[in-house]
Amino acid sequence: MRRLGVAVVALTAALSACGTTSGPSTAPACAHGDVHGNVLILMAQSVPSATYVPCITEFPAGWTFGGEDIDAGDAYFWLDSDRAGPRAVTVSLTRSCDTAGAVRVPVEPDEAGTVRYERPISLPPHYVADRYYTFPGGCVTYAFSFQQGATFTQALEATGALTFFSRELGVRLLQRDGLTLCGAGVDCPG
Amino acid sequence: MDVDAGAGTQAGHDAGADDDALDDHQRWREPVALPGLRHTSRRRRPSDKPPPLPRELGLSGRLWTVAIVALVAFLVLLFTLPIGDWLERSENQFLIWLSGIRTAVLTPVAKFLAGIGAEWPNRIARWGVIVVLIVFKRWRHLFVFVATVLLVTWLVAQLHLVAPRARPLGVTIIGSWEGFAFPSATVAAAAITLLGILYTLLVPGNARRFGKWAAGVLLGLLLIANWYLAVDHPFDDLVAVVLGVALPLLAYRTFVPNSVFPVAYRTGRSAHLDLGGARGDAIRQACAEQLGLDVVEVKPFGLRGSGGSTPMRITVAGDPDQILFGKLYAKTHLRADRWYKLGRTILYGALEDEKPYSSVRRLVQYEDYVLRVMHDAGLPGARSYGFVEITPGAEYLLVTEFLEGSVEITDAEVDEAVIDDALLIVRRMWDAGVAHRDVKPANIMVRDGRVLLIDVAFGELRPSPWRQAVDLANMMIVLALRSSPDLVYARAIEIFSPEELGEAFAATRSVTVPTQSRSMMRRQRKAGMDVLRRFRELAPPRPPIAIQRWSFQRVALTVGALFGALVLWVLLLANLQSGAL
Repeated sequence: MRRLGVAVVALTAALSACGTTSGPSTAPACAHGDVHGNVLILMAQSVPSATYVPCITEFPAGWTFGGEDIDAGDAYFWLDSDRAGPRAVTVSLTRSCDTAGAVRVPVEPDEAGTVRYERPISLPPHYVADRYYTFPGGCVTYAFSFQQGATFTQALEATGALTFFSRELGVRLLQRDGLTLCGAGVDCPG
Repeated sequence: MDVDAGAGTQAGHDAGADDDALDDHQRWREPVALPGLRHTSRRRRPSDKPPPLPRELGLSGRLWTVAIVALVAFLVLLFTLPIGDWLERSENQFLIWLSGIRTAVLTPVAKFLAGIGAEWPNRIARWGVIVVLIVFKRWRHLFVFVATVLLVTWLVAQLHLVAPRARPLGVTIIGSWEGFAFPSATVAAAAITLLGILYTLLVPGNARRFGKWAAGVLLGLLLIANWYLAVDHPFDDLVAVVLGVALPLLAYRTFVPNSVFPVAYRTGRSAHLDLGGARGDAIRQACAEQLGLDVVEVKPFGLRGSGGSTPMRITVAGDPDQILFGKLYAKTHLRADRWYKLGRTILYGALEDEKPYSSVRRLVQYEDYVLRVMHDAGLPGARSYGFVEITPGAEYLLVTEFLEGSVEITDAEVDEAVIDDALLIVRRMWDAGVAHRDVKPANIMVRDGRVLLIDVAFGELRPSPWRQAVDLANMMIVLALRSSPDLVYARAIEIFSPEELGEAFAATRSVTVPTQSRSMMRRQRKAGMDVLRRFRELAPPRPPIAIQRWSFQRVALTVGALFGALVLWVLLLANLQSGAL
């Protein structure tokens, strides 16, 4: 009994450190579902003014969800890559961002409604760059920080995995369940 | 005079046999055969009657256990039945209703109160608890506190992964929040911090009673503030309260019950148990019921020389009153013994039969047995009168003769007669096949010029020749510390052969000499007398007897201990980063 107690405590202690980082179940996947939907809702709650929320369509080979840090005011999540390294891309949602010095570039079809800026900091073999998407009420930043040896291919893979979920769609989906997502376009009591 | 069960089986069929049986019964009834002692009726404890000092989970502990079970059952229902949406809507409705009372005055107050669960106040409070526990050397409380912090933090983090829940919907959130809502990390953090302060820092009594009320009020205010600000759903907070209160409470009551590990701010060894209050009553009750002794008074005695048990002086009613000696063993002593032996095994290798005891009962049973064997062998020392159960499996009291009028050998005059007597005791132990294994000044008493051996908890029957040789060397060292090595050797050569004396000092190392003797030797060495070296000069030369025993077990334990230390260090850093500590 005592040994069991010690084992439980040891296991608990060992896992406590693991528990401080998030596993894949909290990845903000774009597909609407119970668990992933909650992550997207939480991100939308973190920046109530934002009309879009970043999400992950699918993971390319070699890419995994690293973790998330969402609180009142901003939301972050990051992706790890077997080639570009840990935390190769950090995606953040904030109310606004400083795009000074960044170059405006055309957006992809799935990025309609946003304005895109690029700011390369260093080129391969140690690729570091920031990409901004501004839209009403918010800004999403992709911060690339690749380890030595990674190429643009990994940047294309990562950006291909990321897109946006519209708040308007989220509000409609929740309304079907009798729930109200407060924020841009939806006033709530209090 | 009551007749105990089993007495009838002693009865014979003729008058003479009846007399013998009565005599036997009388002897059995009075195990502590001291003249004038007043005996009480011994009573068997019925199965449904609690022991003298029951384990203390307490009513609140039981209630919180029920709360945990109810919570788990509700969570199972929540995940299996379609009631999640109903719960979500109900909670949101409540928060929407509550948002109607928001005012410009109440909102700042609520934001201030929400700080009870914030990271930094809790971090500071937790490190404060840790520092106090380190200062007062309450290592066990410290371990349980840190373990509960890690356990609850981990559980909350796991629940966030399993059931990531968004913040309340349909109401404007006006407070600060971080991460997922279920269960509330801030409420759980505040609860474990407050429970830690309550059960590791506050002395039971008024301070703790007040503390419980204060903690309850603080948690209640935090919950109300969180609901007012709409940062948590009520269910998130209630689950966090159950986790943050119930688990630490059960841990403290199980692993550091106040009766065994009292929170007190006094000097002295923490291994010693409080003999007043409920435990004092339990000792009286146990002695009366199990040994038929009418205990008048129980007082701590000789605490300074004892770290492995709580020694006491027991006054028993009689004509006149009699004094007995008691040694209270509890789990704390058992665990201290285990850690001590583990440390020795890693540092020096497993010396002969230094296996830890499996339970407190075994430990006290063993000492009682060794005392009786030594008494039967005619070795002078305290006679055992048996032991009593205070808390089943957790606390036992060994009752022995009190060596009235005896003094520790360091306070006695050590002349040739005393030296001879002490050396003859070693010879008699050899002949009886017994080793004391802890021959040091504190365990050698002198009364009327005769030597008495006490504290046989480490005693061994049929020991190895090496162990017997060590006993002899340790006895000679103690005697020499109080006289001179030359005199002791001159007396020893009359009782032991030169080869035996050579073997004794060839077997002796620093690790085989008890700490008390070692420190006295150190002092004498500084004064110019190296007792051990002088003995080695006097005894026939003999190569040292190897005691370092490398074994797979020792290597595995050493690697395990290093790995454990590394894991703890990594965990500490990880938890510092995560904010759990």
